[in-house]
Amino acid sequence: MFSLENITNLVSTWLYANLDPTWALVVQFVIVGVLVISLFSILGLVLIMMERRVAAWMQLRLGPNRVGPRGYFQTVADTLKLIVKEGMTPDGADKFLFNLAPFIVMIVSMVIMAPLMFAKGFQIWDVNIGVFFITAVSSVSVIGILMAGWASNNKYSLLGAMRSGAQIVSYELSAGLAILTIVVFSGSLQVSTIVESQADGWWLLKGHVPAVISFVIFIIAVTAETNRAPFDLAEAESELTAGFHTEYSGMKFALFFLAEYVNIFVVCAVGATLYLGGWMPFHIGNWTSFNQVMDYIPSSAWFFGKTFFLIFVIMWFRWTFPRLRIDQLLNLEWKYLLPISLFNLLLATVIAIMGLHF
Amino acid sequence: MSFIRQYLSDVISGVKSLLTGMRLTGKYFIKHKETNITQQYPDNRQELFAGLPDRFRGEVVMSHDDNNEHACTGCTACELACPNGTIKIVTKFDMTPEGKKKKAIDKFVYHLELCTMCNLCIEACPTSAIKMAQNFEHSVFDRRDLTKVLNKPGSKVREGVE
Amino acid sequence: MSLSAIIFYLISALILGAGLMAVTTTKIFRSAIYLLASLVGIAGLYFWMEVEFIAAVQIVVYVGGIVVLIIFSVFLTQQAGQQMPATPRNRTLWSVLATIFGFALTWNLVSAYGFKALDVEFDDNVERIGTKMLESGSGGFALPFEAVSILLLAAMIGCIVIAMKSTSEQK
Repeated sequence: MFSLENITNLVSTWLYANLDPTWALVVQFVIVGVLVISLFSILGLVLIMMERRVAAWMQLRLGPNRVGPRGYFQTVADTLKLIVKEGMTPDGADKFLFNLAPFIVMIVSMVIMAPLMFAKGFQIWDVNIGVFFITAVSSVSVIGILMAGWASNNKYSLLGAMRSGAQIVSYELSAGLAILTIVVFSGSLQVSTIVESQADGWWLLKGHVPAVISFVIFIIAVTAETNRAPFDLAEAESELTAGFHTEYSGMKFALFFLAEYVNIFVVCAVGATLYLGGWMPFHIGNWTSFNQVMDYIPSSAWFFGKTFFLIFVIMWFRWTFPRLRIDQLLNLEWKYLLPISLFNLLLATVIAIMGLHF
Repeated sequence: MSFIRQYLSDVISGVKSLLTGMRLTGKYFIKHKETNITQQYPDNRQELFAGLPDRFRGEVVMSHDDNNEHACTGCTACELACPNGTIKIVTKFDMTPEGKKKKAIDKFVYHLELCTMCNLCIEACPTSAIKMAQNFEHSVFDRRDLTKVLNKPGSKVREGVE
Repeated sequence: MSLSAIIFYLISALILGAGLMAVTTTKIFRSAIYLLASLVGIAGLYFWMEVEFIAAVQIVVYVGGIVVLIIFSVFLTQQAGQQMPATPRNRTLWSVLATIFGFALTWNLVSAYGFKALDVEFDDNVERIGTKMLESGSGGFALPFEAVSILLLAAMIGCIVIAMKSTSEQK
């Protein structure tokens, strides 16, 4: 059966056999870096294409269909255009910070990838605080956005950045509490342990009502955290032209754009890991033959299937709901999501202590 | 307690209304082959010529019959009705066989580049001399080509149309 | 020098350099960003020491919380974009002297004690931190934990009371 675990083990054994540990580690860093960067570019191409297709079909349109077979090279053409475009820096901008901001946003979304478990035994860094690490590092990306908004020396950018900051800081709370619900159930912060705790069923299915409620809250909160519609106030084009990236062009803009999509991928991967069992195949109780058929599907396919399903749900939100006003946005968080998720956490704790989950 | 009931019913009705919206777009997504309304214009040009909707308006034309006669009396009702001065009627005086002078159109000048296809001129016309055609390929290389004279050369008003 | 030591010195240089830049720059927003770099460097140092939980807490509290707060207050300050006047020379002199004396004092204390390595198994198991927080017996931190919780709760309620519009007065 196809498995990524064998490949990684093979590479690791070979490296440690032939090099001294320090250099083996360095070579591993390089391999991981190359893999992450190529994953980034592939994700950018695939997700942007997917977004345009989903958007078109939901709005009774066809979507791109001219470049390449059925329009599938459209994003490649767009990327080429962005690469050859001049990356302008406005005259009144704080040039150092202006040029630094896209890289901060990008690096943050790269670092968050570390604890993700892409397949069975295929993980960059199995840190013992995996989920907490993701929550912690993702809070840094707001600094990149604030920096971009400030350094552009443009009132729209500044307003967009401040909206984005207020939004991310508020929604981090309920996203964190939703994650905590699953941490309470599984009793660990480590990603691999959380996935293993779902071998006999996904938390969404065996966690009763609290898991379902926290799943819904998690999806809403991460949609807000990634600044996507209906929470895209930070770049509300009818009010703020393009929000914090108004002044960016060319490849610097492309980095923001790419980081947005990679962030969506990461949060959906976290959602899939916590609620849908990560790479764990779908098993039903005692149906042995059914379970064996499910086991034949490679674990990476399970992981990416679940993640892309969640990405599709978030895109579905974007092309269905109208944008919220800022007061509605904060009302939703502070009056609805936060109290509900606090109460939900209490309920989950009671269930976990009593051992009521399956 | 009523406050909690209010709160919960708010949450439930909110979620329900969101799900209604998502069901609609989800239906569109799944049945995108049937629901899609995009016309792939240059590819299906012939189809478009054959079957545009009845109410599609392309440009104003004046209908002429086989004897090269039209129904325009030159009353300028359409010119007055036009909100942005698209129509300009140049009149002349014909001599009737009885020796009387009769008002008739010399040129019915129509500026397609100004026209918004609002249909007001068609409604204003008392004799139904002009109508909307469904031709939509209006691109030309010279702007002057968009200024058209609608009555054909040598045409005259049909007998009996006052 | 091993690779580990090189990384340690690089991170330390980042922390100190960014800290120095934060206090010497004349642009207030850049100062906040240098502070951010310094705090991220400290988190990096924790990661280097393999105490991931403390490192993540450092990032959440200082980078995600305090620096964002500082940046927000910079945004709300008037004339925040302007360059501030350069520090007067005698003020620089005195602050340099104060730094030197502070450094000398610390050095004196540390060298008197010596860099002794404790022979204790060190780990930052999150589960143990959690149980210690709620343990009331010896070595438990239940009382300080609860005291801090109540303090924070009081602060939160106070914020709500201050921010709340009193509808009765308006009528």
